[in-house]
Amino acid sequence: MVEAPGTLHAPRPGGIAHRLRILQVIVLAEFKLKYAGSALGYVWSVVKPLTLFTVLYLVFTRIFKLGSVSEFYAVSLLVGIVFFSFFSDATNQGMVSLVHRESLLRRMRFPRMLIPTAATLTAAMTFGVNLVVVVAFIAWERIEPQLDWVLLIPLLVELYVFILGTALVLATLFISFRDMGQVWELAAQLMFYASPIIYPAALLPQWAQEIVFLNPFVQILQDVRALVLYDDLPANNVTAPDVLGEFGRLIPVGIALAVFGLGVALFKRYEPWFAERA
Amino acid sequence: MSKIFRLPHERRTTLKEYFLHPFRHDGHEEQRALQDVTFRVEPGEFFGIIGPNGSGKSTLLKIIAGIYRQDTGTVKVNGLLSPFIELGVGFNPELTARDNIRINGTLLGLTRRELGARFDDIVAFSELERFIDQKLKNFSSGMYLRLAYAIAVQVDFDILLLDEVLAVGDAAFQEKCFASFDRFRALGRTIVLVTHDLGVVQRFADRAVLLIGGEMRALGAPDDVTEKYEAFASPLAV
Ligand SMILES: Nc1ncnc2c1ncn2[C@@H]1O[C@H](COP(=O)(O)OP(=O)(O)OP(=O)(O)O)[C@@H](O)[C@H]1O
Ligand SMILES: [Mg+2]
Repeated sequence: MVEAPGTLHAPRPGGIAHRLRILQVIVLAEFKLKYAGSALGYVWSVVKPLTLFTVLYLVFTRIFKLGSVSEFYAVSLLVGIVFFSFFSDATNQGMVSLVHRESLLRRMRFPRMLIPTAATLTAAMTFGVNLVVVVAFIAWERIEPQLDWVLLIPLLVELYVFILGTALVLATLFISFRDMGQVWELAAQLMFYASPIIYPAALLPQWAQEIVFLNPFVQILQDVRALVLYDDLPANNVTAPDVLGEFGRLIPVGIALAVFGLGVALFKRYEPWFAERA
Repeated sequence: MSKIFRLPHERRTTLKEYFLHPFRHDGHEEQRALQDVTFRVEPGEFFGIIGPNGSGKSTLLKIIAGIYRQDTGTVKVNGLLSPFIELGVGFNPELTARDNIRINGTLLGLTRRELGARFDDIVAFSELERFIDQKLKNFSSGMYLRLAYAIAVQVDFDILLLDEVLAVGDAAFQEKCFASFDRFRALGRTIVLVTHDLGVVQRFADRAVLLIGGEMRALGAPDDVTEKYEAFASPLAV
């Protein structure tokens, strides 16, 4: 059953393969936990964004008549809600993940960054499930797939990098400040209304556009919409280069990378004390 | 090596407090958990750590395992370490025993293939075949212990850290643990054992250390060290 030490050929723990394997095992188990037990699990994960979508859609097309700003207001709104839900769920779950796994942290040694990473990846799986609904809407609108949709891949990578960086900052802060949860909930809510999710970007005055487009989330969302809803009306088809200029468009990308760098640095700096303070 | 825990005052753990009273310096209290602890465990040695509740034994083990960071001094570990700390290897109670074995085995360094090959051994050692697809939260503490121990010893460790491993196991499982101690010793593995059972220390340990209030009060032959502890613990000595 137990071999003598030194006879084993297996890689010692700590390498990149080991880390990826840990992520895989944790994410699959958590995902299973979320969706097993009820056959309706998948349904539940799309119910939340779809409900929000339905309510906002009815209010803003019937009462505020915003439907006319876009050829595809429904798809545009749904994309905004699904992307925002990903951002909000992933950062929230990443923030509390260390504290929730406190008993694990106090009993085993492993790279702590795997915990918030696994939490954000689990949220990414739910995002993937939600995207199926988005695709259904796109098909229903008879929007033709384009070759340049492959550009969605780097945009999704940028979004994940931004989310993970934000989650690492929040997770580190949450260890010491347990009211970060409330603070972040409020901040995310402000971000929802300050971003062109319900309303078209062109509705904002120029100076406000210049501010909100610094947010990588807004830049990504607008790029995704411009790619998918390529022949939409100009009011809803505003992207970072339109607002910030050809070079200015790099600023939100730089901010996403900076947030990621800050998150990694902050997390690494306080990592040795996470177990005892979680 | 020393360790001090900084205990923030309850009202200092929120951002709100920092904003409302940015210049208040009531900071934190300090809890000295370990003070100038120094020893060396030889390869293949069975090393016992004893001492009263709150004397810093678990803290010491966590520092050796790299879970907590010491404030001063250095800790050197040569070899692959498998920790069994405070009744478990850290499970998610909502998941089944099967999933927990996979997660914890992976965290401890088992590859997918090793895990596949050893899964049955883990289950057999813990004697929990019937419960393997139940949620862990429904396990008794003894069952929990059996599973955790079975996983910890399935890693090809050089050094095994054991904390409270004998606390809630029944007699049969204790005997099983003792048999595994003998087997590991024969294989030349190093074991560091924290326990309140002085008889076990006398029976298995090559050397032992006595911690009281975070300080080393005795280090050496198990009989001498347990005798010191008994003298300290007996009411006559007070
Ligand atoms: N994470 C922590 N934060 C603050 N204080 C801690 C922390 N962990 C342990 N302590 C303190 O350090 C001291 C030593 O605790 P430790 O768990 O090492 O004791 P122990 O010797 O294992 O006791 P027992 O025999 O009851 O298991 C205690 O006073 C405890 O309150
Ligand atoms: Mg203890």
